[in-house]
Amino acid sequence: MDIFLQQIVNGLTVGSLYALVALGYTMVYGVMKLINFAHGDLVALSAFAGLTIYTSMFADGGTSMVAVITVFMFTAAIIAVVGVLLERLAYRPLRTAPRLSAVVSALGAGLVIQNAIMLIWGPNMKIFPSDLFPSTVYDINGVVVTFTQLMILLFSSVLMIALYLFINKTKMGTAIRAVAIDQDAAKLMGINVNRIIMIIFIIGSALGAVAGLFIGIYYRGITFDMGWMYGLSAFVAAIIGGIGNIPGAMFGGLMLGLFNALISGYISSAWAETFTFMLLIVVLIFRPTGILGEKVAEKV
Amino acid sequence: MNRTNMISLGFLLIMGIFPFVADSAWLAVGTTFLVFSVVAFSQDIILGRAGAFHMGHAAFFGLGAYTTAILNTHFGWPILATWAPAVIIPMVIALLTTAPIIHLRGDYLLVTTIGINIIFLQILENDLFGLTGGPNGIFGIDVVRLFGHEFFEQIDMYYMALILLGITLFIMKTLDGSKFGRAMFYINKDDVAAQSMGIDIRYYKLYAFAIGAGIAGAAGSMFSVQYSAVSPEAFNVLQSIMFFTIVLVGGSASLPGVLLGTFVMFVLPEIFREFETARYLVFGLAMILTMILRPRGIWPVKFGNIPSYLKKGKK
Amino acid sequence: MSQYLLEIKNVSKFFSGLTAIDSLNLRVKKGQIYGIIGPNGAGKTTLFNCITGIYTPEEGEILWHGKEIKGTPPHKIAELGILRTFQTIRLFAEMSVAENIMSGRHIKSTQKWYNGIIPTPAYYKDERKNWEKVGEYMELFGLSDYATTPAGDLSYGLQRKIEMARALAAEPELLILDEPAAGLNENETKELADIIRKIQAMGVTIMMIEHDMDMVMNLCEYMTVINFGAWICDGVAADVQDNPAVIEAYIGIEDEDEDES
Repeated sequence: MDIFLQQIVNGLTVGSLYALVALGYTMVYGVMKLINFAHGDLVALSAFAGLTIYTSMFADGGTSMVAVITVFMFTAAIIAVVGVLLERLAYRPLRTAPRLSAVVSALGAGLVIQNAIMLIWGPNMKIFPSDLFPSTVYDINGVVVTFTQLMILLFSSVLMIALYLFINKTKMGTAIRAVAIDQDAAKLMGINVNRIIMIIFIIGSALGAVAGLFIGIYYRGITFDMGWMYGLSAFVAAIIGGIGNIPGAMFGGLMLGLFNALISGYISSAWAETFTFMLLIVVLIFRPTGILGEKVAEKV
Repeated sequence: MNRTNMISLGFLLIMGIFPFVADSAWLAVGTTFLVFSVVAFSQDIILGRAGAFHMGHAAFFGLGAYTTAILNTHFGWPILATWAPAVIIPMVIALLTTAPIIHLRGDYLLVTTIGINIIFLQILENDLFGLTGGPNGIFGIDVVRLFGHEFFEQIDMYYMALILLGITLFIMKTLDGSKFGRAMFYINKDDVAAQSMGIDIRYYKLYAFAIGAGIAGAAGSMFSVQYSAVSPEAFNVLQSIMFFTIVLVGGSASLPGVLLGTFVMFVLPEIFREFETARYLVFGLAMILTMILRPRGIWPVKFGNIPSYLKKGKK
Repeated sequence: MSQYLLEIKNVSKFFSGLTAIDSLNLRVKKGQIYGIIGPNGAGKTTLFNCITGIYTPEEGEILWHGKEIKGTPPHKIAELGILRTFQTIRLFAEMSVAENIMSGRHIKSTQKWYNGIIPTPAYYKDERKNWEKVGEYMELFGLSDYATTPAGDLSYGLQRKIEMARALAAEPELLILDEPAAGLNENETKELADIIRKIQAMGVTIMMIEHDMDMVMNLCEYMTVINFGAWICDGVAADVQDNPAVIEAYIGIEDEDEDES
């Protein structure tokens, strides 16, 4: 039972990170119908950028809340700018091109970011300092919860609720939903589609940046090519939840995190990805557009 | 004789005399280029013709390679005897794995085919049934022996790969001139219209996967003999992405396009090997630029390949 | 054996609670040109989509030669001899005119499963025969000059012709035309009427949706008027024209956007 509860806690932690990354995929997909293959590499870039900012600004190892917040804010801002540049340079020129051309461009962009990280920070693993968060450990009837885990759960919940309210309760959110449904109609209603897409990339990249920093703080070891696998898992989570659907991405992320934790805990972590994709295939066989996705009828 | 046939024969001819001017290092690059072209063509059947977003082709390539490797090293089969299973097993596995997902639309299919590749890779790395050799793979694969002759030299490998490419080009030509190849194009261009003309979408997409996987398997078998070893990283998702990109950068369903794509994506990085680390950065930039400047590929396909007696009057 | 080629019996189709077709009945005799008319959004295209298997109606029967075909997938419907054109032209735009029409020969081709990779003498013969047929249909529709031109590059009128040639190349028993005259000018419409008569003379039964009333009244031997998916009346041209319910259906409705899918 303890193992089970422990795996639930670990699963929710990883699931929250998946969900944060999945939101970036799902928002871009919802509006542009494009798998942003470079998103995972943005997450990796965030971890490296954050590490550099932390070590250069707080080299003395001060662990004040101010330091941590500064690092998060700076990194999120930098990654958001990179995300917007990515859209401008690699995706916007291909908006009217065949869909697969944009996919290749996204793959190319991912390659560029990944190798840029390697050229700047080198091919070896970098280690995050352990003192960003207090190393407090809470033991609740044998289930161990670290302070970092608590922060991840808390922070990502707050961000997700905020995003949900932003999308559903504000005028800008309504505009985003309108563009997702029909770009041309939205344009006719006076919505600036380019601006909406820019906002999507800012929010998606910033959420990815937060996830990237948490990945660094939680796992400590970061590598230049780690973005690919996190990205793929998060994208799978977005599809399982129903791509284009924001609650779907949150749900899919948490579900995949729990599923992976239980597989690792009870079967073997060596087969984790196999089970992930089996889960994806099973979900898609029964729900071709994901669990919370809507059925899209094609107009004939 | 039409243009495509001329390009194919011209290419085979040039590649036929290439060994006379190349040193052994370049001969090895040439051999791999030929093998990769075969894989790229088989990817093109699925992606460029049937229009199925398939990003797991390295799995079928690897299945062929491991079939030959396992049958030869574990069971002592001669290489020649492994050729048929190296084609048939990938075909069967392709049919079994894609049948439940073939109806998925575009990007969903893309991600599930990546999944097929990843599952295949984990099977290799976890050394399922003790057959795959785990992360190190399998060493010591035999060479082709026929009538007491051993084909072990680089030049033997080269010409075997060239023959394989010749066979592949012949199959492509047959396919394009048959109702099967056309049905794939119709489905690709407008699936609703294709259905209404009596085309069973599921059947022809599976057909494309089966043929594509079979050819990739043959190439894999060749690949394992060429290097006399196989290991998982040669068949990872990055390789699948490369085959996918070759087709789109070169030009979907375009014979010269796919050859060019293979050259650009495989041979050019070999030439710029000295630049080591920076080359993939440049490579990514080139992918973006190519798509922006030539969204349909460097050498896009041209339709209208019809019998000459129908081409009359003005254009 | 039924005396009717196609019978629609009490067919209903719903889209998330909305009734697109409301227990509709109609019967098409062999050799007829049968018109389906009604205001925009009346459910005409939905009816065609039900017949051709793109949609499966929730209620009722669709009988082809007296046999139920409801729920049969579209490609099987084509094999049965029911071919169609689309209201929004659906050609394989990047492919040549000849290749487009060749798609009609798909179900007539006798190639075996292995002919996709291995050519046989029978394969070459079959290819040759079907391309010759394509040549004949291009001749019939006056498209021979455009054999190698990408279909998408041609004018609207020509594209409509290619779509009909493509369907006819499959040698259908029933040809379903969804607004064949939409977007055509007066001359092209006249020419189209001649072509439709020519097709009828070949022994093909025709069902058509059309808004050009002159053309419908001229061509169609029998017609059914529907509105909001439901039957209004049916009969020969003269009966339908004088029916007050028909006039009301047309005048009582503002011209809405076509949204019948």
